[in-house]
Amino acid sequence: MRQSRRDFLARSAQLGVLLGAGVPLLQACGGSDAKRSKVAAGIADGLEPEAGPLRIINYADYVNLEVIADFESKYGVKVEISTIDTDTEATTKLASGAIKADVHHSMASTSIGNLIAGGLIQPLNKSYLTNFPNVISTFNDPWYDPGAVYSVPYTFFGTGIGYRTDRIDPALVESQGWDTIWNATDFKGQVSVLDDEREAFTMAMLRKGVTDINTTDQAIIDQALADVSELIDLVNVKVNIEGYKDIPEGTTSIAQTWSADLITGAAGYLPEGVTDEVLGFWHPPAGQYVVTNDSMGVLANADHPVLAHLYLNFLLDNDVAEKNFSWVGYLPAIAKMNADYVIDAGYVPEHLRNCVPTEEEIATALYMKPLGAAGDKLYEDAWAKFTAGG
Amino acid sequence: MASTIPRGRQSTRFWALFAAPGVGWLIAFFILSIYAVMAVAFGSVDPFLKTPIPTWNPLEWDFTTMSDVLREVFTGYLQKVFLRTFGFVTLALLGCVLIGYPIAYFTARLAGRSRGLLLAALVLPFWISYLMRMLAWTNLLQPDGFVNQVFGWFGMPDNRNWLDGDWYTVVIGLIYGYVPFFILPLYSTLERLDGRLIEAGRDLGASSFQTFLRVTLPLSVPGLMAASVITVLPMFGDYYTNTYLTSGSPRTEMVGNQIENYLRNTGQPQTGASLVLILMAMLFVLMVYYLVTTIRQQRAAER
Repeated sequence: MRQSRRDFLARSAQLGVLLGAGVPLLQACGGSDAKRSKVAAGIADGLEPEAGPLRIINYADYVNLEVIADFESKYGVKVEISTIDTDTEATTKLASGAIKADVHHSMASTSIGNLIAGGLIQPLNKSYLTNFPNVISTFNDPWYDPGAVYSVPYTFFGTGIGYRTDRIDPALVESQGWDTIWNATDFKGQVSVLDDEREAFTMAMLRKGVTDINTTDQAIIDQALADVSELIDLVNVKVNIEGYKDIPEGTTSIAQTWSADLITGAAGYLPEGVTDEVLGFWHPPAGQYVVTNDSMGVLANADHPVLAHLYLNFLLDNDVAEKNFSWVGYLPAIAKMNADYVIDAGYVPEHLRNCVPTEEEIATALYMKPLGAAGDKLYEDAWAKFTAGG
Repeated sequence: MASTIPRGRQSTRFWALFAAPGVGWLIAFFILSIYAVMAVAFGSVDPFLKTPIPTWNPLEWDFTTMSDVLREVFTGYLQKVFLRTFGFVTLALLGCVLIGYPIAYFTARLAGRSRGLLLAALVLPFWISYLMRMLAWTNLLQPDGFVNQVFGWFGMPDNRNWLDGDWYTVVIGLIYGYVPFFILPLYSTLERLDGRLIEAGRDLGASSFQTFLRVTLPLSVPGLMAASVITVLPMFGDYYTNTYLTSGSPRTEMVGNQIENYLRNTGQPQTGASLVLILMAMLFVLMVYYLVTTIRQQRAAER
């Protein structure tokens, strides 16, 4: 259920004008013509790429347009990008046929299993993906898609606390861990948690030592709800995904954020006269660190599946991935681009080294997994209660 | 004799055709839309993709979600959200009346030659999208924003964080956003107000305040009602004003935010659609009240 984290403003601007009633109408009118079974076979080897245009579905500002232009000139095709705002929206529009695409650029890990079962994405033909060996080895056999049959990783990031080092002592954050957020009573109104029920409740569970973050135990979820709801009065908590902008700009002092938000914030959102020294990041120790990634896939009903494979392969090229990262700010799952590399190249300040999850951290990470409709409903209903005011 | 239909009726039929686009519009974008929302609310969800599977046959509708949602609205966590939304809208409406009425009155009756200019100024906000104006406010209301600077010039506390998830920021935002919609219909009523009635009131010895209270105000009720309906309906469904002005504080969550969340971020579109229907039903009651009062007033005026 993760929302677009790149640009909240764009997200709202596009749908803000729709009143509540408009959305179900759009969904309802599309009907449901999704195929009901896995797509068994992908494309054959050695096919010529189609003439295009290549159609991509992606979040706003989540791919470097120069990279797109490079692909267009390399293969002599046009690329068209349809923008979506949430992962749920992407699934809805693809399933109903409201958007037809060749490439799903940013599938959430929790959705990939459903997209496969729902027959929306096709198995990849690795013979076209010559750059696949560039990928961090852990992603060769990810939990959400064993054997990486249907997907290749795009970006990855961990969940922790982003904070202002000029307002709170880094040593204090290190010693308090997740309690930092509950203890931030001096920062009332400058504290936020991620606008995502799984992320926020997982944080509350980890704080209490619960590491089975995919639990569907009602009592544990209720406790997490009670703990997160405490934050309303304790710190006047905000719920959003704007840490990448609000921490550098100073309106937020302490926030549950994704590691990539600090990299993005350091690169593009510091006001004049403020250095990246003010940005700090903490994440839980190995074994309690939640790492998430987005993946690319080819739609089952793609009109240009060969071109789509070539696009995936293009994005896995070391240089292309670097060029894309330099603009997007979210780390690609490319082995070459480890912490040393991105720091030496000047993309990430040394003191934000811990914003780049190491291979060990990825290998021992906790993953938020899909819980099925009934399991997800437990979290969604608890979330509705929290956002309603606790 | 080319036709057996009398001339009068023929022309009535011809003019009735003018209603056709309106009727078509209503069927396509009101009746069918509500039917679609109902089909989602009382339908099911794809187990894998969690997309809505609308049930189009009313005989097969499943009311479980609706009854769950209704229970939450009347006794559960949604009660708070509905009461809060109702409170915000009432306060915002009050603000619209207090700000909008004098402006409309002045423009309609006292502005003289500058009326055209004033009217243009009133329409001016529509040139900029509502969202853009709200975004501008998030800048103005920041702790180091322009609003606090102005407060500082007058020696007032200038460190308030207006975007802190407080009810008054949302109410101010709603008033700001909707007051032009309030002024224009009210203006058109006040502008058509028969000046002779006011003169008569004064001639018969009433003070200017008494005349306003006993002549002008009662005569402007239809305008006030129309203006209220036009502003209240969208305010109830509003969610972006709140989202922008409080950075997503749970303290100011409105019904529209809950609907948005259920429809866009969860696998429970039926819950969102049910909330849409419940909100519409509540607004329908207000709408009926408005229609009944208007019809009564029209009859009274015709008498």
